[in-house]
Amino acid sequence: MAVAAPGQLNLDESPSWGSRSVDCFEKLEQIGEGTYGQVYMAKETETNEIVALKKIRMDNEREGFPITAIREIKILKKLHHQNVIQLKEIVTSPGPERDEQGKPIEGNKYKGSIYMVFEYMDHDLTGLADRPGMRFTVPQIKCYMRQLLTGLHYCHVNQVLHRDIKGSNLLIDNEGNLKLADFGLARSFSSDHNGNLTNRVITLWYRPPELLLGSTRYGPAVDMWSVGCIFAELLNGKPILTGKNEPEQLSKIFELCGTPDELIWPGVTKMPWYNNFKPQRPMKRRVKESFKHFDRHALDLLEKMLTLDPSQRISAKDALDAEYFWTDPLPCDPKSLPKYEASHEFQTKKKRQQQRQAEEAAKRQKLQHPPSHSRLPPIQNPGQPHQIRPGQPMHNAPPVAAGPSHHYAKPRGPGGPNRPRGPGGPNRYPQGGNQGGYNPNRGGQGGGYGSGPYPQQGRGPPPYGVGGAGGPRGGGGSGYGVGGPNYTQGGPYGASGPGRGQNYTQGGSRNQQQYGNWQ
Amino acid sequence: MAANFWTSSHCKQLLDQEDVDKVPQADSDRGITPEEFRLVKIHMSFHIWRLAQQVKVRQRVIATAVTYFRRVYTRKSMLDYDPRLVAPTCLYLASKVEESTVQARLLVFYIKKMCASDEKYRFEIKDILEMEMKLLEALDYYLVVYHPYRPLLQLLQDAGITDLTQFAWGIVNDTYKMDLILIHPPYMIALACIYIASVLKDKDTTLWFEELRVDMNIVKNIAMEILDFYDTYKIDPQRGLPEDKITPVMNKLPSKA
Repeated sequence: MAVAAPGQLNLDESPSWGSRSVDCFEKLEQIGEGTYGQVYMAKETETNEIVALKKIRMDNEREGFPITAIREIKILKKLHHQNVIQLKEIVTSPGPERDEQGKPIEGNKYKGSIYMVFEYMDHDLTGLADRPGMRFTVPQIKCYMRQLLTGLHYCHVNQVLHRDIKGSNLLIDNEGNLKLADFGLARSFSSDHNGNLTNRVITLWYRPPELLLGSTRYGPAVDMWSVGCIFAELLNGKPILTGKNEPEQLSKIFELCGTPDELIWPGVTKMPWYNNFKPQRPMKRRVKESFKHFDRHALDLLEKMLTLDPSQRISAKDALDAEYFWTDPLPCDPKSLPKYEASHEFQTKKKRQQQRQAEEAAKRQKLQHPPSHSRLPPIQNPGQPHQIRPGQPMHNAPPVAAGPSHHYAKPRGPGGPNRPRGPGGPNRYPQGGNQGGYNPNRGGQGGGYGSGPYPQQGRGPPPYGVGGAGGPRGGGGSGYGVGGPNYTQGGPYGASGPGRGQNYTQGGSRNQQQYGNWQ
Repeated sequence: MAANFWTSSHCKQLLDQEDVDKVPQADSDRGITPEEFRLVKIHMSFHIWRLAQQVKVRQRVIATAVTYFRRVYTRKSMLDYDPRLVAPTCLYLASKVEESTVQARLLVFYIKKMCASDEKYRFEIKDILEMEMKLLEALDYYLVVYHPYRPLLQLLQDAGITDLTQFAWGIVNDTYKMDLILIHPPYMIALACIYIASVLKDKDTTLWFEELRVDMNIVKNIAMEILDFYDTYKIDPQRGLPEDKITPVMNKLPSKA
C-alpha cells in the first residue's frame, strides 16, 4: 500500500502495487555501514515492529540498479527458511535523500533511494563472540553450527551458493536463532550452467583452496570450506587461517591441511593458478595435531569440512548427520540460550565520537593505547593462572549488558583500530599491563547501558591480561580451568576481535569483500 | 533460477485473461481500445526482440524482458509508463537478472541506430536508468520468471520427438507476442506448442499426452489461442506489424515531453 509522504500525494499509485515509502519507518539508529550503503535499525510506525533497513546506495552506479542488489533480491525473494534472513519488503524514499543533518545529499542522480527491509536481528556471530567475557558452551556451538548447516543446506538444495559465509554474516536473534544474511555475493547455480563463476568471492580467511587456485567452476563445497573455518574458529577462539593476501592464505591452508597432490586431489595440478602457487616442499596435513584439544567428533567433522579436494569435502546435508550433532552434549534448543541484551538507544555516531576522542586523547598523551580489537587467545593452557579468575563469566553466565554485538556496529574509520591486522603482527594481543581492558570502543558501547545488571562482566578484564605471549595455539592441552563438559574447548572470546575478514581488501580490487553485514 | 515454479512468485502472480486484457484506465480515457492495447504490446515485443538481436543476448533474456513489459501494463498505464522507453528498459533489466548484462550505453547506441527515423523512440542513458527504478517498483521487485523453454526440451525428449525441437521452439518464441506467459504455467505453454507442432508435422502424440494426465482441454485451448493469433495478425516475423496499422495507435500515446 502506498503511503503518501507528508506534503506529497501519491495519487497515481495503485493501492496494491508499488512499494511503500520509507516514511512508514522511523529510523532509530545506524547499525552498519558497508560500501554498499548504510544499515539502520528502524521501527515501523504503524505496528511498532523493529526492522533493519538496508539502503541500496545508488550513487556511483553507472549501470543503474546494482546487479549485486538484483542478485540479492532475486535470491531472497525465493528463499523462505527459518535460518535464512527474511526480506520483508522493499521501500523507496520519495524525495531527495537527506543526510543526518537534513541536508540533501549531493551526487545522487536519482530522486529517491531504495531500502531493503529485513527482520531485525540483535547480533551477528562475530559480534556476539567478541563480546567481552563471552564464552560459548559446547551445546551452544552445536546449536549454532546446526542452524548454520540447516540454512546452508536449504540454500544449496535451492541451488544458491552464498559465497560469503563468515561470522559477521551470520545473524543471531535473542531467541537463539541463527540466520544467514548478506546474499550480495550469492549466485544461483545449476548443473546445466556451471562454469565461469568468478573466483573473487568469499572473504579471504574463509576462502577455499579451489578458489585461491583459480577455479571458475565450483559449487556448494566453497561454502562448506567457510563453514569449516567458522567451526574451527568457534572452538579455537580465533580465526584459524588468517592470510594477508592470496598467496599467504594459500600457504597457510597448505601448512594446516597439507600440500595437495594428484593423489589426494585429482586434477589439482591442472588448476589455473596451480603453477603460480605450487608449494615449494610437500607438507603434511596437521589438522588433527593443531586442534588435538577439540573433542573427537568435532575434530572428525572439521577434518571433513577442511578437505582440500572440493569433491570430497562434506556436504551440508552429510555434516548434519555427523556424530558430532548426535552425541552428548547435544545441541541445545535455541530458546534455551541466554538472551544477550542489545542496547538500542546508543547512537553509533556517539560511539564514533567517543572513540575519536579517546584516540586523540591517547595520541596527546603519547600513549600507545592497546589495540581495541585484539582478539584474545583462548584459554587452553592450564598453566595460565588467570583462567580461574573470579568474575570470569561461567558458561551460561548471565548476559553482558554491553552494546549490541553487531560486528558492523563497531565504529570504523580509516586507520582506526578496526583495520585488519596481520596475524602475529605487533599489537595482535594486548600488551602487558593492559589488563584493565581499556577499550574505547567497548567502553563506548556500554555507555548508557552500562548500569545494567552485570556491569562488571561487561568490562571484565581480558583473561590474558599479562604477557599475551601464549600465542595462538596456547598450550594445547584441553584443560579448562573451570567448568564441566559444557565448556567450549576454545575458551572465551575476550575483547573484541581484530579486523576480521569483514572489511578485508588486501588482496587487491576485491571490493565486494568490503560489504557490511546486511548487504 | 532454481527452486521450483510452484512455489515461485511467478506462479502466484498468474492472472486471468480478462485482467490481462483490461486497458488501464488512463489509457482507455485517451481512447485506447482493447485491440489497440494488444497491438501496442505486440509491436513493442517486436521492438524488444529487434533490439535484442543487435546487442546479442540469449533468447531467455528476451523472454524475460517481454514478460516484464507485459506485466507492467497489468498494473500501470501507457500514459505514465511510455512503452517506447519501458521496452528497452525491460531488456536492460532482464539482461542483468539473467546474468548477461548489457551496458546501458550500448543499448542506447543501438536504439539510436535502429530508430534513427523516429525521434520518439530515442532515449538517453539517464532515461533508461530512471525508468529502471520505476520498473523495479512496478514489478514489485519480483524478477524471476520461468519460461517454457526448459520444460519444452524435457517434454520433447520424454515424448521422443526431439526432431520437432526447432519447430516447437519457434512457436514458443511466438507466444511472447501474446500474454500467455502471464496467464498459464510455462509447462502448459510448452505442451500447447508441442501439441501444435506434432499436429502440423503429423506426429501421433495422443498416447503420450494421455499418459501425462494433464488437462487436455487447457492445452488445446492454449493451442487454439496461438493458432488464432497466427491467423488474426499474420505478422511478418522479421518486420512486425505493418506501419499503417501500428503508427496511428502509437500516435495516440504521448511521447516524452
